[in-house]
Amino acid sequence: MSALESQIKKAVEEVATSQQKLSKFTDQIEQARSEFEAGQELSIDIENASLDDVNAHTDLMSANIAELIMGLDDVTAGFSKDFDAMRSYSGWESFIGFFSKQRADSLRQERMRTASIEDKLQDLISKSDVITNLLQDQLNTLNEHAARVEKNLESTLVDREATVATLEDIKAKILDIDPKIIALENKISVETDAAARTKLETELAALNTEYNALVQEEQVKVAESQTLERYIEKGKTWVDSLQNQAATQMVLINKLQTDTKQRVVLYDALSKSLKTAQQQDVAHRINEIGVATDQEAQAAMAAIGSATNQRMAEMMEKHEDHMVFARKVLEEKAKSDERFARRFEKIVEKHDKNAYGA
Amino acid sequence: MVDLTKDHLPLEDAYETRRYFAKFDQIIGHLTKVAENTTSNKIVLDTEVPILQDYLSSLSATFTALSYKHLLAGRVSNLMANVLNIDRQESGFPIFPELLQMANDAIQANRHLQSLPSLKQLKQEMVQHILNEHEVPLQLQFAASQRLYYQCLVDQNLFWAQNDPQCSWDGDLSSGRRKYHIHWAVYDSQLNIPVIYLMDVEDSGYRALPRDGERWPQVQTHLMAQSSALLELVTIARGFDQDFDDLHPKKLRRIFVGPMYSHSFTQQSGPLRDVLSEASRKPEWDWALAWSVETLIASRTEMQRTGFFKQVERQIYQLDPLMKLPHGGLSGATAHQRSLILPQRAYQILEEMNPPGFTNIRKYVVSPHGRVLSYR
Repeated sequence: MSALESQIKKAVEEVATSQQKLSKFTDQIEQARSEFEAGQELSIDIENASLDDVNAHTDLMSANIAELIMGLDDVTAGFSKDFDAMRSYSGWESFIGFFSKQRADSLRQERMRTASIEDKLQDLISKSDVITNLLQDQLNTLNEHAARVEKNLESTLVDREATVATLEDIKAKILDIDPKIIALENKISVETDAAARTKLETELAALNTEYNALVQEEQVKVAESQTLERYIEKGKTWVDSLQNQAATQMVLINKLQTDTKQRVVLYDALSKSLKTAQQQDVAHRINEIGVATDQEAQAAMAAIGSATNQRMAEMMEKHEDHMVFARKVLEEKAKSDERFARRFEKIVEKHDKNAYGA
Repeated sequence: MVDLTKDHLPLEDAYETRRYFAKFDQIIGHLTKVAENTTSNKIVLDTEVPILQDYLSSLSATFTALSYKHLLAGRVSNLMANVLNIDRQESGFPIFPELLQMANDAIQANRHLQSLPSLKQLKQEMVQHILNEHEVPLQLQFAASQRLYYQCLVDQNLFWAQNDPQCSWDGDLSSGRRKYHIHWAVYDSQLNIPVIYLMDVEDSGYRALPRDGERWPQVQTHLMAQSSALLELVTIARGFDQDFDDLHPKKLRRIFVGPMYSHSFTQQSGPLRDVLSEASRKPEWDWALAWSVETLIASRTEMQRTGFFKQVERQIYQLDPLMKLPHGGLSGATAHQRSLILPQRAYQILEEMNPPGFTNIRKYVVSPHGRVLSYR
């Protein structure tokens, strides 16, 4: 198994672990919510520690996937080897070149004619596809979780509004009862008739009980509102964290897709232009030498000769254009890599120093 | 900024994608009729028509498959949606990497088919979803479209990025040689256009070419590696002649099925642009498909010494002395025939405008009922 493949395998495992952790956390939040709905005491204990754990693992996973994308760069380095081979003579060809330059040339052309990078392009696409799927999968999970928690939060917000409303209601009732109690107490202090006094005192006792009950209910509601608030805070942090992770995933996917698209077009253009420049002029020349002895076509020959030269010159110019073009693209790629690099500074550094597992 | 994918147009939403494929389906349907018609105009030989039709029907299957793949493009709430990219400059076809991607999907098709629920099951779930939730079952529709796509990849005969050479025996010659037809096709990666190659070869080898385990695989790889639209026919034929001493390519023909022009999807310049923009009042009228055939024929042979006692036959090809390439060189083929397939309305406008440069192109005109007539 190649290094890239084992890296991919590792990343798959990490994504799976990360998804488990995500689910666990979202489940906790949802479980707290259902407990609350069942009228139980809110026992939420969404520890910051566990959130940190999830985040730490996500960072680790993103870092590994970023490394994977850099690893793909190494795979594509194989292409430049192919291009170099197309441009220069092989060992055997240079050896033959000592004796006959012509023979070496014709050997090289034969090699060029069978050179093809299509299967390598296919390989590049399939490898990048595997990584994209991995990222896409993770992105979908993140979005799904974010949606679930948001939905949950929405209804919690409604609940909290209801709680606050009840709280206001209770407060109003308490305020309402206060003057009644004072009035009753005043009445009791001036009442002289024992029977009437006893009746008033019973009334006061009932009012007091009601008052105490209300105060107690107020405390319960205040606590409930606070818990809900804490729950909402936690939920919000979680959604933030999920969205942040999703943004990271999207940077990764974007980088990978753009790179692959550009690479496929670039490599293909390069290999085809190398091939064309190497063969076209020669084939024309040889055929035209044959044609030149052809009696019928003799009249046209002078024109064709000059046209051939012109074409050869153009062909070479065009080839140069391609090379300039390719260089520009590479510069452009370097720029677009910058954003990626800023986000994954440490990994890039490690990659450049080639310090994996060392 | 140099962006290699600048002339690639992503089709962002499902409606656009479906319109694109509907148009393509229609045009490819006409193509098979045009292929029948070409024999009477001596553009293609009778024997070559079935081969062409084979490739055209597989091309049509490829587009059907791609249309399933992108049926719900941009509608599924997938943030990084996978959309179809087409080349809008001088091609109008999906870009080459789309076909590579398809080949990649095909490798995994069986696995996907095992994991996806059957179409019947999906439909039942859709009905349930509609009745229970009162909304469009987008996710299920997406699953169904993917199922159809993978099914297509497994069942259908598709046009791939590379379609390897096939060989058929075409009779023995008096000189003890055998004649073969070789045909293959590629989706050209530079032009983003399907290209079909037909070659007539004389074989003076000891064993029959298709049964020769030594030469035939070599011939196949050689031809596939050389199938690039940037190479002139004479370059390809010369190279083949050079590398295989006992195979003598007598005739090589290359057919470009494209570019496709459509006012709503592609960018074009020159007179065709005006014609199509004039015709674009009805979307079904605003297209034209160029179809060009290059032919290279060997005029005679020469004997060439390759060793002390060995001589091999090399072909000398006849090049068209009048046909000049745009950049001034001589063309690498014996003959070029260009034809344009377009609907009645667009043809009418083309005739009225009568732009220079279109007089020598054969025009195949498609009536609304699908009848194809050819005009000079």
